[in-house]
Amino acid sequence: MPATPPEKILKELADLWVATSKQEGAEAAQGVLRACSMTLIVIAEDRDDPSAMGETIAALMPEHPARTIVVRLTGDGDRSIGQRVFAQCWTPFGQRRQICCEQIEITCSDASLADVPSVVLPLEVPDLPVILWCRSPRLLDMAEFRPLARMGWRVLVDSGAMPDARTALRHLADEGSRGTLLGDLAWTRLTRWRQILAQIFEDPRNTSSLAGPARITVSDAGVVTTRALYMAAWMAGALDSAGVGATVEVRTRAAQTFAEIACGAFRARLEREDGHLSATVNGLSQCTLLPKPDDYLLLREELGISGRDPVFEKTLASAARFAYATDE
Amino acid sequence: MPGENPFQDPLRFERRIPPCAVVIFGANGDLTKRKLLPALYRLAYDRRLSPGFAIVGTSRTPLTDDQFRAKMKEAVTAFSEDTPLDEDVWRAFGEGLHYVAGDIGDAALFQRIGEKLAHLDETHQTGGNVLFYLSTQPSQYALAAQGIGAAGLQHGAGWRRLIVEKPFGHDLASARELSDRLHDVFAESDVYRIDHYLGKETVQNILAFRFGNGIFEPLWNRRYINHVEITAAESIGVEGRGAYYQEAGALADMIQNHLLQVMATIAMEPSASFQATSVRDERSKLLRSMKPMKPDEIRMHAVAGQYGPARIGDEDVPGFRQEPGVSPGSNTDTYAAVTLFVDNWRWAGVPFYVRTGKRLPKRVTEIAIHFNQAPLAIFDGEMADGTPNLLIVRIQPEEGISLKFLSKRPGAGMKLRPVSMDFNYGSSFGERSPSAYETLLLDALLGDATLYTRQDMVEASWAVVEPIQNAWHADGFEFPNYAAGTWGPAAADAMLARRGHAWRKP
Repeated sequence: MPATPPEKILKELADLWVATSKQEGAEAAQGVLRACSMTLIVIAEDRDDPSAMGETIAALMPEHPARTIVVRLTGDGDRSIGQRVFAQCWTPFGQRRQICCEQIEITCSDASLADVPSVVLPLEVPDLPVILWCRSPRLLDMAEFRPLARMGWRVLVDSGAMPDARTALRHLADEGSRGTLLGDLAWTRLTRWRQILAQIFEDPRNTSSLAGPARITVSDAGVVTTRALYMAAWMAGALDSAGVGATVEVRTRAAQTFAEIACGAFRARLEREDGHLSATVNGLSQCTLLPKPDDYLLLREELGISGRDPVFEKTLASAARFAYATDE
Repeated sequence: MPGENPFQDPLRFERRIPPCAVVIFGANGDLTKRKLLPALYRLAYDRRLSPGFAIVGTSRTPLTDDQFRAKMKEAVTAFSEDTPLDEDVWRAFGEGLHYVAGDIGDAALFQRIGEKLAHLDETHQTGGNVLFYLSTQPSQYALAAQGIGAAGLQHGAGWRRLIVEKPFGHDLASARELSDRLHDVFAESDVYRIDHYLGKETVQNILAFRFGNGIFEPLWNRRYINHVEITAAESIGVEGRGAYYQEAGALADMIQNHLLQVMATIAMEPSASFQATSVRDERSKLLRSMKPMKPDEIRMHAVAGQYGPARIGDEDVPGFRQEPGVSPGSNTDTYAAVTLFVDNWRWAGVPFYVRTGKRLPKRVTEIAIHFNQAPLAIFDGEMADGTPNLLIVRIQPEEGISLKFLSKRPGAGMKLRPVSMDFNYGSSFGERSPSAYETLLLDALLGDATLYTRQDMVEASWAVVEPIQNAWHADGFEFPNYAAGTWGPAAADAMLARRGHAWRKP
């Protein structure tokens, strides 16, 4: 029997709602409105800045109201689980009634990780999507990851935070092939880049320029990164779907971060320059802001997807193949 | 390589407008300032516009491009309800604003517009794509289309489309006449008749609610639904539009277009797909299934009203005849209520009560679907005869859906009381909803006509409304017949009472 019975948490939640309604009801006859469109499970290390994470979750709630269950990993320690419940409330502009979402915080040691699903599963809101956001990179290598991942309809990770890109992609592709619906924030960070590249090919003159074999070059400042492999795999996949074969080069430890397609005389290049993204097509450049996406923006995009993400799934599979192929 | 963009990711990328120019006739008017420019600016703010996007404003007032830009910046600042004016976004957007002055009756204006479009095609690479927006007096629609045609602007390297604002004629004959004049220049598939009600998120949500869920559609017929109420109430009067409103009236201004479209959305058969043609075919079929009334039926099934002066709170409110620009003997309907029937297997015998009015107690638009009572009352007490279930779709304000049903009161005994199960759009989806004009402009620029009205729909609506309009014109009224701030004339209550029904007080 787990140390913290879920019934106790559910009772605390019910009491919380009664107390919140009474408190708000006294202040404004409008009372509170309970909103929930999903269960969001966040697994994070205890050292993970709680206030920053709390701000991210609070910012997400108006757009993705959820019962949020934060599981904090304390590392070593006894086989024990602690918990507390509270509500996140806000008043929409121009309205009197407060909207509130539930938040449950569970702390557990590595030793009690295996007990977490038995506590969390009864707390999931029935019939609504369950998204699991795994912020702990080390968890992916642990045996407990799979039972935890099974709690979610969709599992979000950040391969950019993992020490080795190739290993990360293999793990993710393996997990994906077992039927887990995955999202990767390293992929989400590429959305703006991909969108700008797609915009270049909204012009039929540019699409018709892709007539022969193409060459894709992706260059990144660090060692091999999952984002570079994703970008290269996505570009190659898109060209392949249009019947254009391409050779791919992924450069690492480069001075510049860019992605380029060359095909005969046609050349399209995206390059990051001081908070901007420049798109150059056949020598003509256009610049757009490229703000660094924070967790809120990344999660906001990912929580909008509760089912399959075919483009990512295809790209992950082919990026993992790249990772094998480029293994040293 | 096929024409499709292989880099698209529809799950994550927003729909974007291709390079194009929008020509707005009546660019100095209220609609442009209050609705069109704020909507287009918001699309720019959301990065939906391509760098090659340009606007050509035209009206009689002589203005330079810079003066037009300054005016539009002022309008966007004043009328963008929830979008801040971002100087960087405005700079890029404002550079695409151009102006051509002239009279719609003057062929030279269209030559100058043609030259401007050719210039923009070179500088902005608009690909020859042009959307013409008629935001003028309705009497100028045909003239503008004629001018476009005479200058050959309806043809070009890219697509050419035309948006027309309501009213689409003032009766069936004039609606047909207008369509004929537009068709002299544009094919029907390139004519987008805008009904901003259809662009509202909650009206679109009716389709999602009905056809995205399996549980409601089996109940959506005469076996389970007793009657339907559609209400569009306004608390304000004519607000300076007295002269215009006097010519139109509530029946033509609201029911002929907005509310019949809403009714068609609520009552139409499921479409085979969510393609524009399929959805519009079903709406059109529904409208054509509505039986036009005979004169004796009109007296039973249609009620006109006009508000008189009253004191609301601590404010004296004028009657319609006392409003500026309104004739003291005006017989215009500021309230209209009609009972409509749909002659098909799904709805035969189910009354659809549609009402709209000005100076009613509150601003509310909603659809109330009254289900039949439980066939047998087995409980004692005040609710013994069973309060029928009620499904309410609120279109504005506080958009949402509520289901009213009976529940046991806590405690001993079986005492029932009605409770409401609410879905509130604003709390489940905290993100901003686009304005109706943003949605509709985006659709037109992408060539999606699903939410636009087609000629056959306009004609079917007029076929229903025109006999009522004619009878009312012939009969005359003893107006005013309701006080400002009340729920309309007593005759409207009597119309429902004859079937044992009563209007909801939303």
